[in-house]
Amino acid sequence: MDKLSKYQIVVMIIMFELGSTPLFQLGVKAKQDSWLAMTLAACAGLLLLWIYLRIQNRFPEMGLADLLRVHFGKLLGTFTGVLFGIYFTYEASRNARDFSELTVMTILQQTPQWVIIFTAALISLYGVYKGPAVFFRVVEMLFPVVIVSYGIIVFLLFVARLPNFHKLLPMLENGIGPVAHAAFPDILSFPFGQMIVFLMFWHRLAPGKNLGRTAAMGYMIVAILLILMNALSMAVLGPDISALSSLPLLEVVQLIQIANILERLDVFVTVLLYIGLYVKMTLFYMAAVMMMKNLFKGSHVAWSTIVVLIICGLSFLEPNNTVRLWIGLTVMVKLYTLFQIAVPILVLVVGAARGLGTKGAPPNAEPVGEK
Amino acid sequence: MALLSGRNTNTSTPPIHDSSHGSKKSSAATPLSRKTGDNAASISSRLGDSLDVVSRTIGGNSPEAAAVVIVYIGSLIDQQMIHDNVIQPVMIALHANKEQSSGLKMLELLSRNIIATGSMMAIKTEEEALEALLNGFCVIFVDGIEEALITVTAGGEQRSVNVPITQTVIRGPQHGFTEDIYTNLGLIRRIIRSPDLRLTGKRIGRRTQTNVFVAYIDGIAQQSVVDEVQRRLDAIDIDGIIESSYIEEFIQDRTFTPFPTVMNNERPDVVAASLLEGQVAIIVDGTPFVLIAPVTFFKFFQSAEDYYQRFDIASFLRLLRHITFFASMLLPALYIAVTTYHQEMLPTTLLISLAAQREGIPFPALLEAFLMEITFEVLREAGVRMPRAIGPAISIVGALVLGQAAVQAGLVSPAMVIVVAFTAISNFVTPHINIAIAARLIRFSLMLCAGLLGFFGIMTGIIVLLTHLAGLQSFGVPYMTPIAPFIKSSWKDILIRAPRWAMKSRPEVLGGGKRKANASMPDWQRQKKPE
Repeated sequence: MDKLSKYQIVVMIIMFELGSTPLFQLGVKAKQDSWLAMTLAACAGLLLLWIYLRIQNRFPEMGLADLLRVHFGKLLGTFTGVLFGIYFTYEASRNARDFSELTVMTILQQTPQWVIIFTAALISLYGVYKGPAVFFRVVEMLFPVVIVSYGIIVFLLFVARLPNFHKLLPMLENGIGPVAHAAFPDILSFPFGQMIVFLMFWHRLAPGKNLGRTAAMGYMIVAILLILMNALSMAVLGPDISALSSLPLLEVVQLIQIANILERLDVFVTVLLYIGLYVKMTLFYMAAVMMMKNLFKGSHVAWSTIVVLIICGLSFLEPNNTVRLWIGLTVMVKLYTLFQIAVPILVLVVGAARGLGTKGAPPNAEPVGEK
Repeated sequence: MALLSGRNTNTSTPPIHDSSHGSKKSSAATPLSRKTGDNAASISSRLGDSLDVVSRTIGGNSPEAAAVVIVYIGSLIDQQMIHDNVIQPVMIALHANKEQSSGLKMLELLSRNIIATGSMMAIKTEEEALEALLNGFCVIFVDGIEEALITVTAGGEQRSVNVPITQTVIRGPQHGFTEDIYTNLGLIRRIIRSPDLRLTGKRIGRRTQTNVFVAYIDGIAQQSVVDEVQRRLDAIDIDGIIESSYIEEFIQDRTFTPFPTVMNNERPDVVAASLLEGQVAIIVDGTPFVLIAPVTFFKFFQSAEDYYQRFDIASFLRLLRHITFFASMLLPALYIAVTTYHQEMLPTTLLISLAAQREGIPFPALLEAFLMEITFEVLREAGVRMPRAIGPAISIVGALVLGQAAVQAGLVSPAMVIVVAFTAISNFVTPHINIAIAARLIRFSLMLCAGLLGFFGIMTGIIVLLTHLAGLQSFGVPYMTPIAPFIKSSWKDILIRAPRWAMKSRPEVLGGGKRKANASMPDWQRQKKPE
């Protein structure tokens, strides 16, 4: 098993959290204070990150599947593991659907959605089939492209004098209430709570490296980036247009027009979001495959195929985008909370009560190592 | 293996009774006879009485019982040398030899005092004699003993050291490898005069028995890589090795990839520099192309010239090479995607101009691009294979008929001709032809992706390509190092070429370590402050 480097973990956290996040103007319920809502959620997310890291640090060599079994016992642990597998699969399928919705909305208006979904599923399958070591390297290669592109977009926005930071005023117009309401649980669960997926990968960090600092560094960088992007796009569009637009970042970039040649940069954005969605979808998908493989053995290829078929199937579940967004924002957010907050806290408490992870306390359940 | 010791390398007299030699084949070996005539006849018949097998009998009373018989293959040896250093001294000595000594005494006399060649060895079987003969040695049978002497007399016409044809530089050494392996080894040794330079040889090819040398610098190259190279070479079992590409195909890490995981090079300076960075070179007899492993993707974009020119222009050119490599893969695909799916991306004036050109073109952009690309590939192949005398015909046909006339006839748009031409030129910028070939192949699949799904298709193609690249390895080194996995210290020589004083350490993946102690700008290069 190839070990991951610190840099790879940091890059993956940044790329994963960036993912499709700039696609949506998160926290738009808080109007011009959306970036404050982001900040609030990011701080709460930091707390979640601490919980996840505490769990991981008890058994640095174990993935989530083994961690659950050690904490909950074989039967209950396996059951929770399967639930997590389903959760990861569902997240991946939502990303696949995001993929098709985004593509059909922007660059390929007449292409049937299933074509996009199957293509996206195929490239993800290829990445998963190659294994985490290769996929992390792919993301490492994409990282400079993404960062430079975001840098160029931000630079051009300022050159075109688009951001008007007066649009962010007045701050806290209606008090902290709407901000907190926008932050919890929506923004916390997407994207910050999704850090839970890294419990499947952190144990691959090369031994002797400080996981806590590494993960926290990646998280801080990406949180600041997300808050800045959020504030910037709000400063360009203002709260009203942001609330109406389905793809605010795209609208922002379409406003850039410099010297009659630098225009129509939205394809840039589409490429960025393509990469983001690809990374996110593949990581969730890979987490699901790893989980099932750890729990039930079976070959990597077999599980990859099964899971990708489920992802394709799930992504056709909702009849249209409106229903999908509604389900995502009302029903699923509550379920996400279960996986991202409730279960980890439970694991933390159970572990503390049973004194797991402290020196000299051997795990009760047999850890099922990978490979 | 002792036969590989080569010309002029072993000047001391080797032990006459070499017990280790030939032990491998001793089971089926035919021992030599005491009679020189029998030996010579037997050897000659085993070579099918070929006309170029020469057996020179010297001394004795009859041809069947000559005192000494010298056998060699006339087409493999240096006539002058065998005449001056072997035949003549032996004849003079036998003539002066009053006591008519024979057997072991004679053998030792010849070996110690008479024959004036660099290395010499005693053999006991016909098989050893045959092997020696076929490698350009001459075999000296002595009457009255079941042993014979062999000595190196290899020679014959060789191409002289010339300017490398495939990898030219403006500044830098202008000599390239030749087909002769000893010349090539010498070219390397003359650059690296270090006792740590290791050259280990082996024979590969059941019929051709090709000499293959593995070169590395002890203490710089990673031993694990050297061992792995040896292991893979040992696993080769084939009738013949004609060119180093045979070896390359056997030892490369993956077959089903367009990307080369072993580099070949014609330039001794590049091979020497690679050895100094910890790579391993594989030198094959009969070809000027030396293999270098392990390599990473970015090694293929380094030209020898980068290190001989100023670092600023070298960096610029290297960046240009990377960009043009991607242009040569992507440009036609982007053109197809833009004209077919994303017309709105173009500035209006450009869009109108393109649309006007495409009006009346009977094919969709994808087909148009494919036609032109295939046409160019045909032209290119014709340009390489055709006899030199009819060269101008190709350029006339290419430039006039396929370029101008095709546009005037309304079959292709001028913009497409520009795209194809630029793509083609970009492809030639890459210093190593075998990675340029990869771009050529990938170009077609990306064009198809673009034709089917526009930008989405291109992105999909690129992601698949990156995943493929990330999964490649060359002798255990990830192919995309130092970008993925990221190694900061190696970046000084990847996209740019840092000033020489800044490149303090050797590439980490290949072994690492310091290549020099000073790593700061020398004080005389610092700008003086005005006083």
